[in-house]
Parts: sequence; C-alpha cells; structure tokens
Amino acid sequence: MGRRLPQAFFALSLLALALIVAAVWQASTPSWKTYQRQFLQLEAQGEPNAAAKAAVLATPLEIHQVLLPGLQRVDRCTTCHLGVDDPTMKNAPEPFRYHVGLGTNVPSKFGCTICHGGQGLATDQKNAHGNVDFWQTPLLAKDYIRASCGRCHKEGDIPGVPELAEGRHLFETQGCRGCHKLDGVGGSIGPDLSEEGASQRSPEWLEKHFLTPSVVSPGSAMPNFHFTREQARALTYYMLSLTNQDMGTYYSSLRTIPSSSYGRELFVEKNCIVCHAIGGVGAKVGPDLMGVTQRHSREWLDEQLVNPQLVYPGSAMPEYDLDTNSRKALVAYLATATSEDAQLILSGKKSTLTPEDAAIEAGKSNFARFGCAGCHGTELQGGVPNPNAQGGQVPSLLHLSDDYTKDEVIEVIRNGRMPPLDNASGPTPPLYMPSWKHLLSEEDIHEIVEFLWSKQQKAKDSW
Amino acid sequence: MNLIREIWQSIVRRDPLSTDKGKSELVFLNVWLHIHPAKVKKENLKFKHTYYLGFITFFLFVILVTTGIALMCYYRPYPAQAYQDMKDLQFAVFLGPFLRGMHRWAAHGMVVCVFLHMCRVFYTGSYKKPRQFNWVVGVVLLLLTLGLSFTGYLLPWDQLAFWAITVGTNIGSYAPLVGGQIRELLLGGHTVGEAALLRFYVLHVAVLPSMVILFTVVHFWRIRKDGGLSRPVWKLKAKKPEGLVTIGGTPEVAQLQAVPASTDKTYGLMEVVTGKPIFETITPEEEEDVAFSYPFAFFREGVALMATVTGIMAISLFFHAPLEELANPAKTPNPAKAPWYFLGLQELVSHSALLGGVVAPAVMVLALLAIPYFDRNPSRRPKDRKLAIWLFTIFVVVNLVLIVIGTYFRGPGWALVPPWVHVVAGAE
Repeated sequence: MGRRLPQAFFALSLLALALIVAAVWQASTPSWKTYQRQFLQLEAQGEPNAAAKAAVLATPLEIHQVLLPGLQRVDRCTTCHLGVDDPTMKNAPEPFRYHVGLGTNVPSKFGCTICHGGQGLATDQKNAHGNVDFWQTPLLAKDYIRASCGRCHKEGDIPGVPELAEGRHLFETQGCRGCHKLDGVGGSIGPDLSEEGASQRSPEWLEKHFLTPSVVSPGSAMPNFHFTREQARALTYYMLSLTNQDMGTYYSSLRTIPSSSYGRELFVEKNCIVCHAIGGVGAKVGPDLMGVTQRHSREWLDEQLVNPQLVYPGSAMPEYDLDTNSRKALVAYLATATSEDAQLILSGKKSTLTPEDAAIEAGKSNFARFGCAGCHGTELQGGVPNPNAQGGQVPSLLHLSDDYTKDEVIEVIRNGRMPPLDNASGPTPPLYMPSWKHLLSEEDIHEIVEFLWSKQQKAKDSW
Repeated sequence: MNLIREIWQSIVRRDPLSTDKGKSELVFLNVWLHIHPAKVKKENLKFKHTYYLGFITFFLFVILVTTGIALMCYYRPYPAQAYQDMKDLQFAVFLGPFLRGMHRWAAHGMVVCVFLHMCRVFYTGSYKKPRQFNWVVGVVLLLLTLGLSFTGYLLPWDQLAFWAITVGTNIGSYAPLVGGQIRELLLGGHTVGEAALLRFYVLHVAVLPSMVILFTVVHFWRIRKDGGLSRPVWKLKAKKPEGLVTIGGTPEVAQLQAVPASTDKTYGLMEVVTGKPIFETITPEEEEDVAFSYPFAFFREGVALMATVTGIMAISLFFHAPLEELANPAKTPNPAKAPWYFLGLQELVSHSALLGGVVAPAVMVLALLAIPYFDRNPSRRPKDRKLAIWLFTIFVVVNLVLIVIGTYFRGPGWALVPPWVHVVAGAE
C-alpha cells in the first residue's frame, strides 16, 4: 500500500487541476463572446484601412448592460444584439440587426425586455429569450409585441396600437369585471387579471381562450362571448399589457400619449363646455376657445392649465390637476376643435334629469361598470350557459318584477346566492351570483334595481 | 543556496523524513498536523472500518467555507438584491455558476455524510465508553449542519427558498408554548421577509460556522484523548480481567493504588501517576500493528480530500444549482415543501402537527443524545448488540422512507401521487 497511495494522491491532484482548468475554460468561453467577435468582424469590414480594422478588432469583449432602476430591471440584451441602435447595421444578420421604428423608445432609456419580454439579466440565448423553467415571461411572438406599449401607456390612444383601446373598451362593456378583478375592482368567480401580463399564459392561449374558452380550459365557467377574431386579438393585447409593476416617475409620466382624440375625451369628462364655448357654441362664463392656440403660445396654455391664478389672478378657472401629457392632449384638441364638434358635445349632454331618471342612468352605468352584463347580457337577456342551474343558463332579468319585490332583489345583489339546481344530486353550477356588498354601496345597489325595474317587460304585455 | 537551506530549516526544523525521528517530528513540531498522533494503528486506517466519512464531512465543510467566502463577495442579504445577485452569479460572474454549484452540492453532501458517519459510529459501537461524550458532540454537529443547510436554503430568495423556509419554520412553530416565539425570533417577524433573510444570513455566515468550528475542534481533540479511533470490530480483544478503572468514580483510593502500574502506552496522562487510565491504550504486544502517520495516514487523508474535492468539482461542472422564480409571498406553490431532510417531519406533520412538529423531533434528538448513556451493554460486537442494531436500523429506515415519501410521493394538496404520474398543478 505504501507506494500506491502517493500515486493516487498525485493522480487525484492532477485531476483536480484539470477540473479547475475545465471550469475556467467553461467560464471563459460564454456564447456571447463568440457573438461579439462576429460583430467586430462585421464592423471591421466597413473600415477603410488595416490599422482601423485592427483597432476595431482589438475592442475588449465585455458584457453590455442597460441599468433601468425605474423599470426595475437590468437588460443585458445588447451584449449580443450589438447593432440595435446602429443604423449602419440595418441589413446585418441577427442578432446584430438595427431595430427600425423605435422612435423615442431607445434601448438606452427603456432597455428591451419591457416590450419584448425575456430575461434581461441572462447572457446566453436560451435563458435570455426566456424559454426556460422558472422564467415567467419569455420573448413575445412578433404579432404580440405591440401589446407591450400598454404596459406604460395606460390611458388614451396609442398610435399604431388600436387593439389596446379596443380591448379595454370590450373589457369594460362586456361585463368582464362581473367575474374578474382588475386593480381591486371586480368579482371573484374567475381569476384576478391585474397581473395577467406577467403570468405564464402564452398569447396564443389567451387568444384561443377568448374565441372558445372550453378549447383551452375544459370545464371553465367562462361563457363563450362569441368574439370575433379581431376582438379576441384586442382582448389578448389588453391582457398582455396588464401588470402591477410599479413604474418609476419618469416612466409613469408616459402613461398618456398626447392625442387630440384623448384631449376631446378630457374636454368632455372635465365638462369644459359648461364655462367655455367653441366658435360661439357653449357657455359664455370663460373665453371662447376657438383659435385659442393661435392667440397664445403652447407654453402659456400649459401654464394656464397648471395654475390659472398665476396667469390671471382672480380667474374663475379651477385647477384640474392634469398631468403633463393630458395637458398636451387637451391643447392638441383645442387646436382642432370646431363649433360643429362643440354642438355634438353639447347634444351628448341630456337636459336636466329628473331624480328618477338620474338614478336609472346611474344604475345603468353601475350595471356596466361592475360587469353584470358578463352573465346577464348587455340587454339583460341572460342566456349564458350554466350547467345544472335551473333552466341550464343564467336567467334573464327582463321579468324580475313578476316573481320578486325590489327588496328581494336588493337582498340577492347584496348577499349573492347559489342558483337553484336542476338536478339536486348533480354537480355545482360553475356560475353563481356573487355577494356585492363589499364592492357596491347601498346607493349603488338601489340604482341598479331602479335600472332593472325600468327595463321590466310585464308578462301581461307579452300575452 | 545555503541561505535557502537555512530558511527552509528555520521553517520545518525537523530531521529528514527518511528517519523515524523526522517522521515523528513532522507531526509533533507542526501545529496543524499534531492533532494526529505520530503513530497510528494500521487497522484503524482500513477503509472498511470508517469509510473515511468523518474526514469527508470535514473536507466538505472546508469546501463550503472556501466557496462560501467567495460567494459572500457577490451577495447582498436584502430581498430584491439577493435574487438579482443570484442571477448575476449565474450569468455575469466569472466562475459564478461553478462556485454556487460547488457550495450547493457540498452542502447536500455534508448533510448526507454527517448522517452516514453517525450510522457508521453507531454500527461499530464506537460511542461506547470512553467515547460517550464525543458522540454527544457529534449529535450537536449534526444539528448544526442541518441548521447551516436550512439557513443557507433561504439565501437565494427564490420560490423554492421562500416556501421551504416558510414550511420549515411552520413545523417548528407547533412546539407548545415556545414554538411561536422561537419562529418569531428566528424570522424577526411573523412571516418570512427582509428581517428573516438578514437573520438567516447572519446565522449562516457567522454564528453557525463558528459553532461548527468550535465543536469540530472539541470532536477532534476528543478522538485523540479517547485513544484514537475505536478499534475495528474484527480486532476487538478479549476483555482483560482487570478491566478499566473509572477516574473520579466510586472506587476507594486504596483500590486505585492497588492496581499495578501498567506497561501500556497511553495518549493521556503520562506515566506519572499509577493506575490504568480511562483511555484505550496500546499494549507492548500491539506495537508492531502501529505505523508512522507519515506517510500512511497522511496520504490516505490526502486521497480522501482530493477525492471529495474532485467529486464535488466534477458534479458542479455539469450540474448547476437550481434557481426558481423570485420569491412571491402571494403565490404558494402546491405543494410547498420543506428542505428534503425535513420532509420526513413534514410528512408526519401532515398526519399530526403535534407528532411531526414536536414529539418526533424532540424524541429523535433526545434519543440520539441519550444513546451512549442509555446503552449499558459494554460489548461492541454486533452479535452481542442485536437489539440496539435493530432499533437503530428501524430509526434510519423509517426516516429514509418518510423522506422519500415526502420528496417523491406527495403532490398538490399533499395528496399521495407517485412520481411517475404527472399532475398539472393549478388547472383552471
């Protein structure tokens, strides 16, 4: 044994040394270095003389990263995607190609993953593109990248992405909130969608789900809304844009992209027409706004919207606390506003409502806002399939007054209830009336009931 | 040349290793090596006696300290940073994945080896007189090892870490009266959060390693003071008629003096007092079974060291330590599992919180500590200790079976799901 032991010891020591060499070799030859060398070759081709070529090729190989504390991420994508902001790389092969059409959204300020998804910290293709275990958001397919605009731009229109506004509109009008929570408001029959954009569900899955829910999740309580392909795509975009992520101040200031149509929405919402006129149409309390953008500079108008008292001490104009981009949108609308449009805005406002009508109107908007339409239908027709509930579907609300008093209906809205069963021993129906007392005030509930009663079709009439 | 020789001489100050004097001076003139005796019993070096498990455990600890210090240079114990630092280790730090891999696999290896070492010591009966207390020190080291692994588990701050520690500390909170407070003290709050991460970090890099070093020193010292490693079972001598004398025991002073001075060599009290010491001794007739530590023991230890290091390095080269998603307190994985060595307890907890969280761990630790004092049978021969071997084997097998069930046979909702059935968790 005497001689073999030292031999084994030294052999193992050599093996250890070899393993260290192997580990160092493994660590010194990451794939990004290969890409960087290829890129330098590509750049060197464009150089006029040998000295310049040699200088390019001597560039040290290193990890490139964009630190984005405001977006809570570090993107190392540019370690390989080296030509992304270099227009001369327009025709270069991937991963070196120039990114066309970025506009102001340059990688140095925004990184890459906020739009494209993927794992910014990773430095090899597989991990960076995110198709690995334990990474929630892999690279988005080309068709869906534009949905990411909605992650920062949450209000108004986004030029080039009409799908987002359409998706948001569908979400609010089709009654999705009846079952799904979004930013704390909504029912709890379906999953909370506040972070849907950060979930592992793929865009393809979402789109199929909107077209026919039962295809991708059998047994789901989600009714088939018979959306068109475009609507399903719009909803998918909207879902992909939903994240709870806290954006830093700079990025959250980008929520709105100034556009005259969003300015018009603000003009209507803030009731400007109550004091101002456009081309003589409207009220005369404040100045006529026709051509106001010619009379004053944009800076002056902006200042006036921020702090009217500073510009005109004693002015009756209230402060509206609008963010920078909303003020720009309002000014953009004023530049294009016409008296015809003012007429339209005025006619959109009903003449003074009676208290009863006001309650019905409020009830109608509550009915839409809290997603009742999701199950009961936009026309209260019901009809959404609900297996093993009495009648096999969600009941119509058009004949409520035949069987219930107002107080009984208020009680059902307040506390919710399970639908009566078709077959007592059958499975529990997937849909049920949730309890709304934590979300709706007593007043909200009363208004909804007034709205429902205004829609009742008396059984006698139909005979 | 003379200067170089002089410098070398000033460092080593021993005769050449070709001489017996040089071989023994190598050991006792060197502060690091003199924990060894100058000479060791040849039979104790046999692989099949100890499987070198104690050494391997110690070498794994050395690897863990080395790689751990390197990892500390890249780690900030604060939730958001901790996870990003893990990603940086994975993607941007030179040798990062290799270092992390070595630390992870050595940590699992240490838990396994410390347990196997305990089994070896039990089955060879080496905890018996005069080594009872060293067994107790060993059990403390086992608990410290589990503590180190458990505290290290949280540091990556991924889903695996977060929920394993949440479940693990919940098991502890079932202890009556103090359970909740212990959990709160450990976590610095009611849930696993910032404070918990910082506390676990302090425990992991400062408190527990220092305690392991202190107890390891005692453990090694005791081996020497107890007369070296226990004899292999197959070399046990027939019991001598005079038996062993207990120092400080009941025998009268007169009786102690009546015992003739021994010719045996001892590692303890030199022959300045009469009476046979408590330590295992070498009789003159055993002298020929003894060899110099250099080269026989040292090269064997060297081989064990290099085999451990190369093994861990080879594994780390091909298998990287896993890292899951960022810890998310709002998203509970189903099932949430404790670290694997606590899955036996979690399995018991799923049947009875009191049994798994309080009774079983308390009984296990107390039983392990009490073994050398409870087992009055002086014989180390397996044929004389059938009952003890049966009981311990049942203890080991039950533990392993529970851990295997907890690891591989428990699916969503802690339902019994065999590993070959794939369950889609959280289907909607």
